[in-house]
Amino acid sequence: MITGQMLDTILFYGSHLDIPTHLAMHIPDGFLSLPVSLVTWVIAISLIAFSLNRVNAGYQERTVPLMGVCAAFIFAAQMINFPIPGGTSGHLLGGTLAGVLLGPWAGSLVMAVVFIVQAVLFQDGGLTVLGANIVNMGLIGTFMGYYLYRTLRYSLGGDTWRAMSVSTVIAAWTSVFVASVVCALQLALSGTVPLPVALTAMAGWHVLIAIGEAFITLIAVGYIWRTRPDLLFDPPQRVLFSKDSE
Amino acid sequence: MILHVGAFHLDVDSQKTSVWRNLAPQTRILCVVLLVFAIALTPNGRWLSWIAYTIGVALLVLLSRVTLLTLLKRIAVELGFVSTVLLGTLFRQGGTVLWHWGWLSITTTGLMVLGSVVWKALLSLLILNTLVMTTPIPHLLQALITLKTPPLLVAILASMYRYISVLVDEAGAMQRAAASRNLLANPRWQRLVVGNTIGALFIRTLDRGERVHQAMLSRGFTGIVPLTEKPKYSRSDRLVLVLTCLLVLLGQGIYLL
Repeated sequence: MITGQMLDTILFYGSHLDIPTHLAMHIPDGFLSLPVSLVTWVIAISLIAFSLNRVNAGYQERTVPLMGVCAAFIFAAQMINFPIPGGTSGHLLGGTLAGVLLGPWAGSLVMAVVFIVQAVLFQDGGLTVLGANIVNMGLIGTFMGYYLYRTLRYSLGGDTWRAMSVSTVIAAWTSVFVASVVCALQLALSGTVPLPVALTAMAGWHVLIAIGEAFITLIAVGYIWRTRPDLLFDPPQRVLFSKDSE
Repeated sequence: MILHVGAFHLDVDSQKTSVWRNLAPQTRILCVVLLVFAIALTPNGRWLSWIAYTIGVALLVLLSRVTLLTLLKRIAVELGFVSTVLLGTLFRQGGTVLWHWGWLSITTTGLMVLGSVVWKALLSLLILNTLVMTTPIPHLLQALITLKTPPLLVAILASMYRYISVLVDEAGAMQRAAASRNLLANPRWQRLVVGNTIGALFIRTLDRGERVHQAMLSRGFTGIVPLTEKPKYSRSDRLVLVLTCLLVLLGQGIYLL
């Protein structure tokens, strides 16, 4: 059983010592202005509504248990620290990983659920900026990340490990980098941080952090590709055929 | 309580009694959400509004009788983000220059933004933490349903809440296993091990989710998580809601008069 205090300790050592990572996608309350908050909330609510419908149509009565356990998985994965190039340590944001493993709709739903729980229960990211956080990592990180990965993978040949690895790396790196740029734009539009500073602090740091993200996503996806490729959202054809023949 | 086995224990103060805790959970959520949105979305520099809200927040914290030390500890941990704004203050133009050195300068506008943002973040953190420390999570989830949140979303949240500490424990166990085999000795290996751990954790997660779901079905689960009795909604709930609305309007109204 984990008490709140233990969790605080985990969160403290897990993510607060590496402030750059923490700067990433968890904007606190008070940092975004009314118009920016409103627009991002509207986008986030429609994203959640659409993905709830799509996921429920696909998974039916398995929706609740499966999405719940996967959201907890992303939450747990985000707590694991690893060294990133440049000396500090970082942790996974998991947007592209969720997209590759669960697909765009379930993936962004899971990311949104993770952000809701982090904001409401752990105050990791604010309530008024929840919309922005969901847009940054759910919509841009997962949705865009997934379609970038898919486009690249099938244009590089699809079912080879080379296509899979190259597309995963590029999608994971790009999604984190783009999300950090959007995050900087939101902060600048709100008048909280001047644009050049926001861009340098966010995008500058995230060039490095995104390398860590890409590398860890690649290894995690590689592990699943080797051991249980049938669990990927877009499993390679060989798995489908071998399943049919069984 | 069975519900809390294997779960986070965040509501350290939920067993005490106080005026705040006698309110229905949905009233508490509404009050907190109203206040947080009012505080956080007030444009920078409106100090009078925040004086009004600070009084409101202080009242709420006092009425709820939370353990102040725990509250402050949690907030200290959560203020890491302020450093970016601090950095922004150094480069901001506009207003009177108070101090400068090369490219760096501190201006009145910069200080105004810094003070506003820090104060807004602090107040929001205070009330949100008070809510979570005084309300058990099953009650929060129940209240979300009463407030017309899509039941499917709440069910997913509830299901995730049950799994979080299980999976955090599992990830911790896998990390310890790797550390005890000396696999985390150098950074290159460490990254490989962490990546593989996350991959393995996903496979275990799906298997566990499937297994638990089958077990739930065999025990008569129909897709809806059974909930405990509904909290009563009384006259004091309405009174507190009206007072919160008045406070929010007062805070905004100061600048309209």
